[in-house]
Amino acid sequence: MSQPLLQTTAVAKAFGPVVALRAVDLSVAPGEVHALLGANGAGKSTLVKILTGVLRNDSGTVAVNGEPVLLRSPTEARARGLAPVYQDPALIRDLTVAQNLRLTGVEVADVRRELAAMDLDGLDLDEQVRDIPLPFLRMLDLARALVFDPQLLVLDEITAALPPDLSERVFAIMGRWKKRDRSVLFISHRLAEVREHCDMCTVLRDGRNVASFHPGEGGESQIVAAMLGEASAGVRDVARERRAARERDEEEAPRLVVRDLLIDRQDAGVSFEVRAGEVLGLAALEGQGQDRLFEILSGNARAAGGEILVDGRPLRARHPYDAIRRGVVLVPSNRLAALLPQRPIRENIAIPLFNRVRRWGPINTGRERRQVSEAVTRLSIDTRAAAQARRLSGGNQQKLTIGRWLAAGFRTLLLFDPTRGIDVGTKHQIYDLVRELADAGAAIVMFTSELREIGLVCDRAAVLHNGAIVAELPPTASETDLLTAAHGLEVTAV
Amino acid sequence: MTATPRAEVATPLPRPTGRLERFARRQGWVVGVAVLLGALILWRSSQIPAFGAFEVRGIVAGTMTLALLAMAQTVIVISGGIDLSVGAMMVLTNCIAARLMLDQDLGPVVLVALLVVAVAMVLSGIIGAVAVVSGVPDIVVTLAASFILAGLALIVLDGPGGGTNPRFQELLVGGFDQPLPAALWLAGIFLLVWVPFKRSRLGIATYAVGSDRAAAFLSGLNVGRTRIAAYVMGGLFSGLAGLVTTAFTGSGEPRASIGATATLTSVAAVVLGGVALMGGSGTLLGPVLAAFCLALIAPLMLGLGWDPNYAEVARGVIIIVVVMIGGLLQVPRRAR
Repeated sequence: MSQPLLQTTAVAKAFGPVVALRAVDLSVAPGEVHALLGANGAGKSTLVKILTGVLRNDSGTVAVNGEPVLLRSPTEARARGLAPVYQDPALIRDLTVAQNLRLTGVEVADVRRELAAMDLDGLDLDEQVRDIPLPFLRMLDLARALVFDPQLLVLDEITAALPPDLSERVFAIMGRWKKRDRSVLFISHRLAEVREHCDMCTVLRDGRNVASFHPGEGGESQIVAAMLGEASAGVRDVARERRAARERDEEEAPRLVVRDLLIDRQDAGVSFEVRAGEVLGLAALEGQGQDRLFEILSGNARAAGGEILVDGRPLRARHPYDAIRRGVVLVPSNRLAALLPQRPIRENIAIPLFNRVRRWGPINTGRERRQVSEAVTRLSIDTRAAAQARRLSGGNQQKLTIGRWLAAGFRTLLLFDPTRGIDVGTKHQIYDLVRELADAGAAIVMFTSELREIGLVCDRAAVLHNGAIVAELPPTASETDLLTAAHGLEVTAV
Repeated sequence: MTATPRAEVATPLPRPTGRLERFARRQGWVVGVAVLLGALILWRSSQIPAFGAFEVRGIVAGTMTLALLAMAQTVIVISGGIDLSVGAMMVLTNCIAARLMLDQDLGPVVLVALLVVAVAMVLSGIIGAVAVVSGVPDIVVTLAASFILAGLALIVLDGPGGGTNPRFQELLVGGFDQPLPAALWLAGIFLLVWVPFKRSRLGIATYAVGSDRAAAFLSGLNVGRTRIAAYVMGGLFSGLAGLVTTAFTGSGEPRASIGATATLTSVAAVVLGGVALMGGSGTLLGPVLAAFCLALIAPLMLGLGWDPNYAEVARGVIIIVVVMIGGLLQVPRRAR
């Protein structure tokens, strides 16, 4: 076999205590369209950034055409023939397209030629980037990368934002590159694309490459199995038995009803119901509208259409305050955005309380203290770092974001990826807490990027794809089924 | 592989923005400020019987320092920073120039002028480098720097004093009824320094770094160096402002409060001139026109027979009202 165009050996990268890549060996042959796959957080984007000079690997080597290279900047990576199209367009919004091109030392005429080849020569390059729709920005990014005539074109989820006809043009480019004996590293969540257009795929899991094979042969199940690994046979928690024991009262009206909620104008609409005492798990790939859905539910953004009913009455929140008053509260994924990082635990818990503790005049500190200490004990928050919330560990911060609502009282809890970046022990404390809250009568909607948690915590699973609920599955559904549905594919046997 | 398979529905290309709309979007603010300035000038000219060369010279030469400081602030704000030391830099260069130029012939005076501008560029570059390398926010570094520069000014000149060559004064700000020199200098600086800068790669990079540092880095720019370059440009303009002060007053004045006030007015001109304080957008012309608007308010109040102290109140009101109107006009675009 000929020498690989790109070869990484034991590439590792950590951000502080968080290990993004443990050891990745990736080999891309010339003339190969190579897919890089993995669940959310498996390390794909980190690897791409290392390959394109944005990040430096802590250890391991990257070799191009057999020669070890040091990539200290995007410019150096380009000089080595590695040109990326990142997940977020690297174009500066306040400049025109032409100015952006000059900035990277690209001839406008060359880009026009590439655009013409993609049948996009109608694009006005004197337009400011902020005025151009996202799909065309991705195409412009691609055209710019092509001008460098890279040996390896790195496409990080380029098709995620593209309508089908533009995606086809990207595939045509990939085909052209292959014919010229050059290579493409292709990242996509759309397994159908991967199977159709890629010659090889490498699956990352927990910062390691766990499998490399021809994606067309094994089929999607093989890919999904590799992405999930052994962990998919995870054990169920006691919480499940508790759940099974509880008889659901079908007579009771649902706490939260979402009907044809349009996250974006083009979407089909999201519909689901949650009852008191129930945890609804929401599974989705990245960028399917879950962020926006939670913002809408918590009153932080407006839907383009549809309705939300809380306890049978419509909720038209113009402000999170409106939702909070109806007992709908959000625990966002970015914990520090929800907390006052520089303020003590006590104040953080008391903030949503102010509406109750204080009408006018000074705060009743005695009452505040009592309610706060109740919440702290109940959550077993480690209060040694009580002076500033930002000094708490991620797990304790997360408990705090839930705890402040505990003290304030709520009826419907929206949890957005509550265990992201939290150690295993604390994760289980949070699972227990979520179950406890549900058993005490709260209705809970929990989005999670860890499919395992659906089985551990939830009573039901709904799968969000492209701004619509595409499947409702029992919590016993396998992760394979969940992931299949999350890719927008039909789940055959449940 | 045969012809590319095409999906039935082709995504339409975005509708190109019309020329007029594009002009309104990009230059609308500057046009607005120009109209405001025109109105203020008309008003002022109706207040006095003879609106002639003397009056025009007074406005142009008198506003030149502020216009130059607004330029300094603009470049730095566009690059994503803010410089609270431009006024102190002006005071320092004024003191150095006044001390060295006292009783000199024109030749040495011009040499001193060049030296002073060079000193301002180097000092400003150092300030920028400290902000970039240390990672301390620009606002903190430049605030601290403003105290240092103000102190240096007092070391150079411990009280009002110094002087310069009358020929140099005339050359820079013109005689009492000669508006041309000052106007030509401003136009010259705009055309010979700003226009080429804005079209250069460095100029585009300055906008890029101010707009989105991460994207600029991904575009292969040296973000730190670009930011420092913006400070050096700023130093050029604030150094020139110091020279103009020297020429206009004929002496050096080390009082720190002059610098502080000048700094804040430069920020006001930047805001009024349509430069986003977040960086990345705006032009140099807007703040320069805005500087003239701000400078015209005091004489206007005087013409109305109002207490000139109300001029400061009027200035504040105008800034808020104009920026509010501008913000309202821009809302439809954000909603797109």
